[in-house]
Amino acid sequence: MVALPWGRSAGRDATPDRVTGDRSGRARVTILALMVFVMLAAIASLGTGAAGVSLSDVLMKWISGEELTLRERVVLFDIRLPRLLTGMLVGASLAVSGAVMQGLFRNPLADPGIVGVGAGAGLGAVLAIVLGAFLPPAILAVAGMHLVPLAAFFGGWATTLILYRVSTRAGRTSVATMLLAGIALGALSGALTGILVYIADDQQLRDLTFWGLGSLAGASWAKLSAAAPIMVLALLVAPMLARALNGLALGEGAAAHLGIAVQRMKNLAILTVAAATGAAVAVSGGIGFIGIVVPHLLRLVMGPDHRFLLPAAALLGAGLLLLADIISRLIIAPAELPIGIVTAVLGGPVFLWILLRRRGIVDM
Amino acid sequence: MLDARDISVTLGRKQVLHGAGLSAKPGAMTVIVGPNGSGKTTLLRAITGDLASRGTVTLDGQDMRALAPHALAERRAVLPQASVLAFPFTVHEVVRLGLTGRIALRPDAAHLPTRALERVGLAGYGARFFQELSGGEQARAQLARVLLQVWEPVQDGTPRWLFLDEPVAALDIGHQLQVMHLAQRFARAGGGVIAVMHDLNLTAMFSDRVVLMLDGRVLAQGAVQDVLTDQNLSRAYGCRLRVSSPPAQGATYILPQAAEIA
Ligand SMILES: Nc1ncnc2c1ncn2[C@@H]1O[C@H](COP(=O)(O)OP(=O)(O)OP(=O)(O)O)[C@@H](O)[C@H]1O
Ligand SMILES: [Mg+2]
Repeated sequence: MVALPWGRSAGRDATPDRVTGDRSGRARVTILALMVFVMLAAIASLGTGAAGVSLSDVLMKWISGEELTLRERVVLFDIRLPRLLTGMLVGASLAVSGAVMQGLFRNPLADPGIVGVGAGAGLGAVLAIVLGAFLPPAILAVAGMHLVPLAAFFGGWATTLILYRVSTRAGRTSVATMLLAGIALGALSGALTGILVYIADDQQLRDLTFWGLGSLAGASWAKLSAAAPIMVLALLVAPMLARALNGLALGEGAAAHLGIAVQRMKNLAILTVAAATGAAVAVSGGIGFIGIVVPHLLRLVMGPDHRFLLPAAALLGAGLLLLADIISRLIIAPAELPIGIVTAVLGGPVFLWILLRRRGIVDM
Repeated sequence: MLDARDISVTLGRKQVLHGAGLSAKPGAMTVIVGPNGSGKTTLLRAITGDLASRGTVTLDGQDMRALAPHALAERRAVLPQASVLAFPFTVHEVVRLGLTGRIALRPDAAHLPTRALERVGLAGYGARFFQELSGGEQARAQLARVLLQVWEPVQDGTPRWLFLDEPVAALDIGHQLQVMHLAQRFARAGGGVIAVMHDLNLTAMFSDRVVLMLDGRVLAQGAVQDVLTDQNLSRAYGCRLRVSSPPAQGATYILPQAAEIA
């Protein structure tokens, strides 16, 4: 009898994958379950809020054909719905960019938030908020409301490129170098951001504070429509990277021999990470730990095959962020906690647990 | 027909290959031998396109470096000398990565990883984590992945190629023979095999053509008895070697020739 690995509970139930090692069936079931989870979280999110509008009341009215009050319509469609969609997109983007970055760096600790890409995107966003007004009108006209997310994208992109150049030699990433370079880049971006805050005027300062909290409270249709296209694009591109990321797990040489255009795929992966992180940071500020905790939990359940990991990460990221947002609205209601605090309080310990379980990966 | 001519490679500041070349035919097993550091791996990597090199590499008259990665992947598979895996894939999942290109469209594709594992003697290992296998088991699992990529030695009349860098270095004698037979069968079925080897006995047993390297150059290539001579071997390995003579009194030696594969 062959010793069976996962869960250390060998042979309790003999589903086919425990015999052949094929976990794709389990991955499909997981993805279906996650879809249900996201739907439930979305319903809960729509029904939660300080305004005291209950979803069941609204549903009853809708069924009986009764008109909604103005207040109900505003709360549901102008406050909670954009917030729901923003939360889902941001959660999915953060989780997927974490998974893509980990595949690219071949390391489960690479996360845009941890290695400074989030900070770089933040610097880009703040630059756009503070200095945007000085840009030539032609550029402003073209970029329009997308200016802040675009600037965040470029900030994240530049950081990822530098990070990859510094920490990767001949296709192998040194974890220590990656984490230390990430700290340096994060600190640098933070310092530059700090300088910009001094230059900012009062109105800009209000924007910045709001944004810097890492919160979904400022979600609006306007902000969402500025950042959503970038996030949706990144989320659509990500699955195309799945086969390449699987191949890269064997090393760049082996990936190339499997028929993968390695350099092109790496560039695409970096762009995807920058777009997803940049746009997410632009609408919601720094929300940590989603990018590292979500892929890690999923790898435990269904394995690292990116064909399943990437869509599952999008779903779990979306659902978890909605849950965190609900908690942030309930815990000190009627006030609300910035969601970044909630994800940090929940995600920080999980991250430490990951480190404890897999201390080996840091010592590489 | 695979033809590599005048291959020169510089790594860092060192010129590692000085105009090395080899030719290999499908249907035959070509083995590269030579001392450590003589450039065997480098030559193989230059031919497979891992390394930039001067010189020409043609496959049936076609410039091999001009082929797109996916087209090349249909023609040949490569087993590297060493590999590290980044994430906790199961053995089955690692082997399945070889399921690429047209083979993935076969109706029985889902069963092929299991069959590839059976071929390398790892039946029942699919559900284990790759990283928890022994060195030799990992080597054979990687071989199963590579075999899967070129599952049919000839596809639509075109021979396919296996490039193996020290496929048996980590294996026990039984599995060495098993893997060599596997490669031989691939060649007999019409595919091409180019392998880097250290074991001269296995080389003598299984190869149709031997390429002997020294200091980044090809010292001799051709049939076994023409290349593996006392003179060539003594010169290449820097020690007096005599072909087909037993070692001095009292030493233990094991003749793989005397074995039969189970
Ligand atoms: N990245 C590198 N930079 C500089 N020199 C290198 C590099 N890689 C290999 N070399 C040198 O090139 C020479 C040939 O190396 P290669 O790996 O091809 O040898 P080999 O014949 O495969 O040896 P072995 O039997 O030990 O596998 C060696 O002298 C080695 O030191
Ligand atoms: Mg070698």
